[in-house]
Amino acid sequence: MHSSAEILGHGPMDVFKGLAWVIAGVLFISSLRGLASQETARRGNGYGIVGMGLAILAMLVAGTKDNIAFLIGALAIGATVGVTMAQRVAMTAMPEMVAILHSFVGLAAVLVGYAAFLAPGHLGVDSAERGEIWLDVLIGAITFTGSIVAFLKLRGSVSGKPLLLPGRHVANLLMFGTSLALVVPFATQPGTEALPFLLAMTLLACILGVHLVAAIGGADMPVVVSMLNSYSGWTAAAAGFMLDNNLLIITGALVGSSGAILSTIMCRAMNRSIWSVIFGGFGADAPSGGTGAKVVGDMTETSIDELTEELRNAKEVIIVPGFGMAAARAQHAVKQLVDLLRKRGVNTRFAIHPVAGRLPGHMNVLLAEASVPYDIVLEMDEINQDFPKTDVVFVVGANDIVNPAAQTDSTSPIYGMPVLEVWKAKRVVVLKRSRGAGYAGVDNPLFVAPSTRMLFKDAKAGMEELVAKLMA
Amino acid sequence: MRIAVVREALATDPLPRETRVAATPDSIKRLKALGFEISVESGAGEAANFPDALYVAAGATIAADARENYAAADILLKVRPLRQRDDLDAHEVDLLRVGATVLGFFYPGRNAELLERARARDLTVLAMECVPRISRAQKMDALSSQANIAGYRAVLEAANRFGSFFTGQMTAAGKVPPAKVLVIGAGVAGLAALGTAKGLGAIIRSFDTRAAVREQIESMGGEFLEVTYKEDGDGGGGYAKEMSPAFLEAEYALFRAQAKEVDIVITTALIPGKPAPKLWFKDMVELMKPGSVVVDMAAESGGNCDVTVADEVVVHNGVIVLGFTDLAGRLPTTASNLYGQNLVHLLTDMGGATGWKVDFDDEVVRGATVTHQGAITWPPPAKPAAAPAAPAAKPAAAPVAVAAVAAPEPVKASGGHGHGKVAREHLGSARTAPLTWVSFAILVVAYLGLSTAGTDASGLHHFAQQLTIFVLSCFVGVQVIWSVTPALHTPLMSVTNAISGIIVVGGMLHMHGDLAQPATILALLAVLFATINIGGGFLVTRRMLRMFHK
Repeated sequence: MHSSAEILGHGPMDVFKGLAWVIAGVLFISSLRGLASQETARRGNGYGIVGMGLAILAMLVAGTKDNIAFLIGALAIGATVGVTMAQRVAMTAMPEMVAILHSFVGLAAVLVGYAAFLAPGHLGVDSAERGEIWLDVLIGAITFTGSIVAFLKLRGSVSGKPLLLPGRHVANLLMFGTSLALVVPFATQPGTEALPFLLAMTLLACILGVHLVAAIGGADMPVVVSMLNSYSGWTAAAAGFMLDNNLLIITGALVGSSGAILSTIMCRAMNRSIWSVIFGGFGADAPSGGTGAKVVGDMTETSIDELTEELRNAKEVIIVPGFGMAAARAQHAVKQLVDLLRKRGVNTRFAIHPVAGRLPGHMNVLLAEASVPYDIVLEMDEINQDFPKTDVVFVVGANDIVNPAAQTDSTSPIYGMPVLEVWKAKRVVVLKRSRGAGYAGVDNPLFVAPSTRMLFKDAKAGMEELVAKLMA
Repeated sequence: MRIAVVREALATDPLPRETRVAATPDSIKRLKALGFEISVESGAGEAANFPDALYVAAGATIAADARENYAAADILLKVRPLRQRDDLDAHEVDLLRVGATVLGFFYPGRNAELLERARARDLTVLAMECVPRISRAQKMDALSSQANIAGYRAVLEAANRFGSFFTGQMTAAGKVPPAKVLVIGAGVAGLAALGTAKGLGAIIRSFDTRAAVREQIESMGGEFLEVTYKEDGDGGGGYAKEMSPAFLEAEYALFRAQAKEVDIVITTALIPGKPAPKLWFKDMVELMKPGSVVVDMAAESGGNCDVTVADEVVVHNGVIVLGFTDLAGRLPTTASNLYGQNLVHLLTDMGGATGWKVDFDDEVVRGATVTHQGAITWPPPAKPAAAPAAPAAKPAAAPVAVAAVAAPEPVKASGGHGHGKVAREHLGSARTAPLTWVSFAILVVAYLGLSTAGTDASGLHHFAQQLTIFVLSCFVGVQVIWSVTPALHTPLMSVTNAISGIIVVGGMLHMHGDLAQPATILALLAVLFATINIGGGFLVTRRMLRMFHK
């Protein structure tokens, strides 16, 4: 183990570096703290930028000056690529963006792990350091390939359907166990003789990452993405242990717990256990073994004309957006509708389910993009008690998150999942592309409820027709 | 398939005449969409303010000849039961072709002769008042749609005769107290009356033998009156059952106390298959203040009040007692529109023009059909969930009273309160779950550190220090992240993305030495990828946060 003195040192430069890192750590914590509310969020992001700038600056000033030109070149290129990506990405494509960024963290961690292993003067057997390298590369590789698969799924490049190989749990356990076992020869073999074990483990971890995420269905992505977010944090923390760098440990722990909390929130919102997420393939197994009661009854269709009338006469309207709104990019048309209704004095608000969309908070970002004021966009717990006094609930491209069977039918796969209680409103209008069941494949008794009207249209086209009609 | 719509009332009919019509321009558009052709008898919608021209504009044809209109129809839409057409010198049953279908109110219980006549002509008759009261059939439930209107109108009729404001006022000249309205029977009509009276500013209270309606009354801002005697009067199918004498005694005592206080009484009590129960006795009317108003919505079935005379205004001891039987018909446009929609929903249920079928496996169709293929199919075979048998005690006119018809209730959500509790419990465990995660991560790291650090005491000490920092950071992270608002979860992910780019430091630490070494090249690449994350993550977060505004 190389001592901390090697990195922190004792010269004035090292004191500066040490101080800079403490400050950076504090700034990162303040950055996350800032996200507690919309008012302070921008300042929070600023803290993060300053913290990061400080950490890099400290490294540049106090670190090695070898290859400094290349280093600065790499920083410049990386920053340019990142900034360009960030400027071009559409808000509907945020889930993909987040996923691919996770994969970069994973990749960087793997590279740093190998660099640490191959660094001159480190080829002697130091089993503690080897163990840390092993951990860093393992999590990094899983994060890397897992995020790439998540990215491809979110982008639609590969099918969103879960890949369910027979005996996949056994395969996962075998791969994980073998990776775990490989730490022993890796930590004890001298010098480059240990390399094959590291390579073998990396390969296994890469396959494991692909396999874990491939087994998870498209609509369960909010959980997966936040889980990978967590992994990317643990990776950074592992790198911190490896490099004896407290800033990495602190930052990694922050990000890791952030992802863990998000995953937990998503899991609760989807009624899944956290373990079934970690081990993958949970999207297709009905947890209770049932398929839910078959829904009988007829859907009652409505027309744009009729809906226009109902909206005009309503006093309280709640819009419930789902993935269908994101998929059809209907958020701007929705905003126009809201403006028209609010101008008429109709109290129009949004109800957001925690797992609406493909990313935690996805709907909020889309609505913000369409400049919907955030104080009319409410969380499930804030608005659920308001449905009984609501005249019209307009469900745009959502299904499972408004399914009453989650409360009433104990045989339903989604039984117990918290849902928006839209059926308590006087009228529910569901804008939906087709008659099909939701992602979970569960029939929705809401659609045949007597107070429900169905409008089968693309979310964007339907919204635009409605707006035109309301303006006329 | 051809649908006919006809005049419901003739100029020679006694007052009050039917004003409603079975199809309106709105419903005709929907019938056209179902694939039907519609022909309307000239003047059919006049009393409901639908001139012929509106029907034509909606896509119907106006029948040139009234007899031909009946004869050519596959389906006849009616409001009132089939009747004699004096102007055409024939009965409607005989004007229709053999085997035609009729949808309308029919009341088979007290129209046995008419039922037999329809059977003999091989008609298929669906009686709208026999549509079962199940949740799927609510959109076809004409009794409810009309009772709702009648309840509204009952309040307006009362207000019209009442000598004061409904709402209380403080004027320069002095104070006017708000009117007190008592509604007996909180079914569809009763709840509509309560809502209307509340809207006008009155103090509302209601009595019902079914304890289950308490919540509905209270949700409208009304007071639920109770007697001390315990007995639940839920008779199933949305009606109340008859109560025991002891209960009735307590109930009457309550009414006598109320009679001295209230200004308006609206009674809606009906028991299916029997005359309306008398519950507002002559002495109660006499206890009321002069100028008070009683609206007896059960006047058609004999009335709930001793003093009521059907279709008349009686003044007894200064109290005005209204016995109108055509309350829904006094709002002919809306009543026709809603009734028309009920018919459209039933026709949709039966498959529209293309998939037309009288399907006896369909509980709604089976329940409503009273004659089919030359057989009387009423009453339908008993089914536990099926509706009450046709309310035979109701006279032919409009379906006014409907005492205790349960208000339309969407899908039953099993206990809103219970759910809230469950949600909170979830939240509790949700807060501890990440700690489990973190503890798990700590254990793995600790195991790894301890197993590989060997016996080197300073190595162990050093590792313990790092572990301390790691554990403390995890707990700080958990605390900070829980305070993040869910609306900002996406920016949270992208900013943590950017921050985890701190791994760039790891790359920079390995930049020393010759660039040609594999370690340095790998470190350089790590720096490159990590910086993409930093630049991309922070900028995209900034872009998103800029969009959030009030």
